[in-house]
Amino acid sequence: MKEELLFSAKNIKKSFHSTQALKGVDFEINKGEVVGLIGENGAGKSTLLKVIIGTEAPSAGEMFIKGEKFAPKTPMDANQHGIGMVFQEQSLITNLSVGQNIFFGYEKDFRKLIYVNWNKMYEESQKALDNVGATGISPRKKVLDYNFATRQLIEIAKVVNVSLRSGSDNCLILLDEPTSLLNENEVAALFKEIKKLTALGHSVIFVSHRLDEVLDITDRIYVYKDGMGVGVVDTKDADERKLYEMMVGRSTTTEYYKIDQQIEPDEEVVLECKDLGLSGIFKHVSFELHKGEVLGIAGVVGSGKEDICSVLCGDDIATSGEYYLKGEKVSFKSPNRALKSNVLMVPKERLVEGVVTTLSVAENVAMSQLKKPSVGPFISKRKIMKQANSWIEKLHIKTKNNKELVLQLSGGNQQKVVFARALASESDILILNHPTRGVDVGAKEDLYTLVRKMVKEGKSVILLGDTLDECIGLSNRVLVMKDGLITGELDSPSTNKLKQIDVVTLMM
Amino acid sequence: MKGQNKGNLSIPDEFAIKIKSEHRREQIMRYAPASVLVLMVLIFSAIAGGEFASINNLIAVLNQIAIPLLIASGLTFVILLGSIDLSIDGTVGMAGSLLSILILNTKNGNDFGIFGVLLAIGASVLVGLLIGVIHVKLKIPSFMVSFGFMYICKGIAILSYGGIPASISGTLFVALPKVSFIGIPFITWVAIIMVAIAFFIQEYTPFGRHIFAVGTDERIPKSVGVNVDNVKIKVFVLAGLLFGVAGVLGAIRLGQGQSQIGEGLMFPAQAAVVAGGTALSGGKGGVSKTIIGVFIMVVLNNGLSILHVNPYINSAIEGLIILTAVSLTVAKGRKVISK
Amino acid sequence: MKEKLIKAEKKGKGSQEFVKYFSFSAIIILVLVFWMIDPGFLNRANLSNLLSDTAPLMIMACGATFVLILGSVDLSVGAVCSVVNVLAVFFLTMFFAQNGNVLGSALMGYGLALLFGGVAGLLLGLAHVFLKLPSFIASLGFMSVWKSVALLVSNSPVSIPKLLRPAVDWAKISFGVIGLPLVLALIIVITFYIIQTKTNFGKALYAIGGNERAARIAGVNINKTKIVAFVLAGLCAALGSIFLVAKLKSSTPTVGDSFTLLVIASVALGGTALSGGKGSVLGTVLGVFIVSIIRNGMIFAGVDVFWQDIVFGIVVIAAVAVSVDRSIKNLIVK
Repeated sequence: MKEELLFSAKNIKKSFHSTQALKGVDFEINKGEVVGLIGENGAGKSTLLKVIIGTEAPSAGEMFIKGEKFAPKTPMDANQHGIGMVFQEQSLITNLSVGQNIFFGYEKDFRKLIYVNWNKMYEESQKALDNVGATGISPRKKVLDYNFATRQLIEIAKVVNVSLRSGSDNCLILLDEPTSLLNENEVAALFKEIKKLTALGHSVIFVSHRLDEVLDITDRIYVYKDGMGVGVVDTKDADERKLYEMMVGRSTTTEYYKIDQQIEPDEEVVLECKDLGLSGIFKHVSFELHKGEVLGIAGVVGSGKEDICSVLCGDDIATSGEYYLKGEKVSFKSPNRALKSNVLMVPKERLVEGVVTTLSVAENVAMSQLKKPSVGPFISKRKIMKQANSWIEKLHIKTKNNKELVLQLSGGNQQKVVFARALASESDILILNHPTRGVDVGAKEDLYTLVRKMVKEGKSVILLGDTLDECIGLSNRVLVMKDGLITGELDSPSTNKLKQIDVVTLMM
Repeated sequence: MKGQNKGNLSIPDEFAIKIKSEHRREQIMRYAPASVLVLMVLIFSAIAGGEFASINNLIAVLNQIAIPLLIASGLTFVILLGSIDLSIDGTVGMAGSLLSILILNTKNGNDFGIFGVLLAIGASVLVGLLIGVIHVKLKIPSFMVSFGFMYICKGIAILSYGGIPASISGTLFVALPKVSFIGIPFITWVAIIMVAIAFFIQEYTPFGRHIFAVGTDERIPKSVGVNVDNVKIKVFVLAGLLFGVAGVLGAIRLGQGQSQIGEGLMFPAQAAVVAGGTALSGGKGGVSKTIIGVFIMVVLNNGLSILHVNPYINSAIEGLIILTAVSLTVAKGRKVISK
Repeated sequence: MKEKLIKAEKKGKGSQEFVKYFSFSAIIILVLVFWMIDPGFLNRANLSNLLSDTAPLMIMACGATFVLILGSVDLSVGAVCSVVNVLAVFFLTMFFAQNGNVLGSALMGYGLALLFGGVAGLLLGLAHVFLKLPSFIASLGFMSVWKSVALLVSNSPVSIPKLLRPAVDWAKISFGVIGLPLVLALIIVITFYIIQTKTNFGKALYAIGGNERAARIAGVNINKTKIVAFVLAGLCAALGSIFLVAKLKSSTPTVGDSFTLLVIASVALGGTALSGGKGSVLGTVLGVFIVSIIRNGMIFAGVDVFWQDIVFGIVVIAAVAVSVDRSIKNLIVK
């Protein structure tokens, strides 16, 4: 097939607050092509999609569609140029019919004065479904009568329909993690659809964590890392290992992760999981956590590692199996109960579930203390502020004073506040959920030093690293998870750090 | 390739089972309101016998159903948005009171006839518009704005007749409550027609479809270019219209205008909407479901009064119905945050 | 974009300060206005009347403040007040008929009535927390239930018989223009202030109101805090109602109807935002005074009672509009 360029993006940059999500990436796709876009979390894949579809405007760079300059201000603008996106969270209105969803927002196309010709709309809906080869779907039935996989097809039909109606013969369809909730058969059906689309001359950008699927359906693959393009390969020349190496490859410097400060953990087992399971998410999880240990859990998105943390910190309740704290069986019904047993999580989404922005630094630091600094039976504001000052100094938190609004601190400093909170609580077992997400390099190093110090003082840490590199670098041992099961348990002593490739093979 | 393990269910299977049981629950809930209605009719017939299951009583029920039907239909649209309108007691009473002093009455010389009807309803529409605009533009929760307006309208109602209600004296308006067509009273016919129009708007106009979208997740219609603010305001205006008609009919039936016309109408309407199966979270339900809910409430009321149950209990029963119905439809889950 | 958020957050804090200054000036302005309409407004009798009026409202608004700081709302406060009102007198007369002891009957009667308030709050808290009912609909549901209960206990006003008068005479004690009820109410305010600033529970209120998800992960006991807040609100509604019994020397099954609006108006005028995480009982006290001055002033000026409905309806909406937290980006309001 002759290759004709459909869409290109050059040197796209995008910043949010103080973080640069995209540092100047390129992207090109031809008519009738399926191009994959892969990268770790935070690599910039979703951001690029948002820029293409028009929900975010780029800070710099240019885009071209069919040779014409293209700068959408809203998704509708993108639609007008023949670009449509199927978002990760479905955007169908379940209580409306399939046809009404396909033409949602465009009902005026069927309007004659005050009268709406619904029958015509249903006819057109049927055509739209036929267009993508989605058989067996009745346009008049409500969306909620169809299962998830079918709804995915309806979304694709909707997106293609909107793009086609704008007058383009060649549409660009963006698929963001389309297979995360599909079983094997449904994935196969989806891929058949995609092939039908490309046969008609449309193009698809396929973003996914499932490298095996990406290798199956795409013609070329772009790899992004830390907001930059690492390279683009022809699918026939690539394999999972090579892709993953491109995605995560970083030079590990012993100084960066303070590996020389890594200590050997005690014999004492502080936490033990036996056959732990959360229905539909993970199963048969068994491991031991020792005093003074950093235990890393590695796995791709959806492997279940985050959910293990939720269960252990009390946010979720396990549906099978048990866990023991220093030999005693426990089951935390809430994070409050876990805290009472000295288990606490440092959460991933700082602004959403980490800090309370309506409170000051001092108040945030004191939040996890069950017994707050007090004078007699009354909490002492003076003591709370004194405590906050001491942590500000210890952790080098850059803030004007402890009364400052947490919102005004940079990401790294906000994270330090959350760490201070965790340390002030005197919990023994800390679960660090992507603790350096969105944090600048200087603050990262401070946090790594902090982790080393914590375990030296006798605390134990379960770590979900922001990158595989970080996980290996900081941990004494690494548990590897895949599809809800533990696939490996590897030692990573300071003298003989794991190689990424050893872990990757177990993750995929 | 996916997590297959020794013996018992694989993880994707567990997930599928979870989804299936949720689905089944929803199916059952769909038929619950109608079953409750049938059950109630049977129980009351059994206990109260002929007094309940008679043609006379059927006509009485048809009479009683008119105003709750109008109010509950208006409220349904608001709840489909995910909002709520607590102003009902006030707006209905206000419309009725205004009507009684605008058409031929015993208090003043006004004789606006049909214009009086339009003006009274217009006032209620205006209140709906204000509620919608203040809610949308000032970002004040709907329950708060409408709660405030309930009192404002109550005050305006009493203000309009200066404390002493006016009796309607126009011959046409006095005669209307007694007019029937195939056994169904005129007032109920008006209600039926208005509700039919409401249903048409809900099902067959883009506006109606957009209401469901906004109630489901307002970001979706927004991204397609639907003016969400306008949809919301129009819904409150529509509700105001239906409340206004209810108030006007209430005054006509009563023969006089009083703020009391609206008294205590909000709870049964609220109960009717949730009992019928429209979820408070929005995007689910509709006028047709509410009709069943209204029948449930009216038949319940009717049956209890035939059995000479203390009328003061009605409010409590409505409250319990609201609590039960909402708790059955509300989203559960450990991480759900409700305020 | 972060700068915008910070500006808005500062504006939010700024509007809190604004409301405080506004409240103080509003009180002064209102007093002046009513005094100009009729100088008798500030005479001893009316002043004492005005001040004693504030006591029940102040107590009820204290409990409501905690609920609002959480980000929830309790629309049943008026109905609980009504039930407690009739129960108090009912139990008083019942115990007195049994044993003729005024003090004993008073303790038992008031005690049981107070207990009801706590139970009502507990039920509401449990329904909200464990059934996941949004607080406004749960309190609405309970409101209709309690309305019935009040009318079933006693469907018409009941006066306190002469022999039992000593049980309510304490309300007549006064120190100049300031009556004992007001003193007691202020003591309760101070107590609540201490709870708000110097206890774990108080800190938890603000944390949950500010960001419930973060508070949960940080280990704050969400369920307990919420339930306790509703129980306190119920107890306050009950206590305020008992003060009403003492003041009016009678019970009325519909006495609480107007209080829900007045309570919310007081708290909103005091600077507590509906979205939660901010506010203080001290601000609420100012709000209570504004509401009472308006109410008393209007009655004193001979304005018809139904104007109160109109005025307070507008006041509530305006007060809430000013205190709305506009710093939240893409705030979805339902």
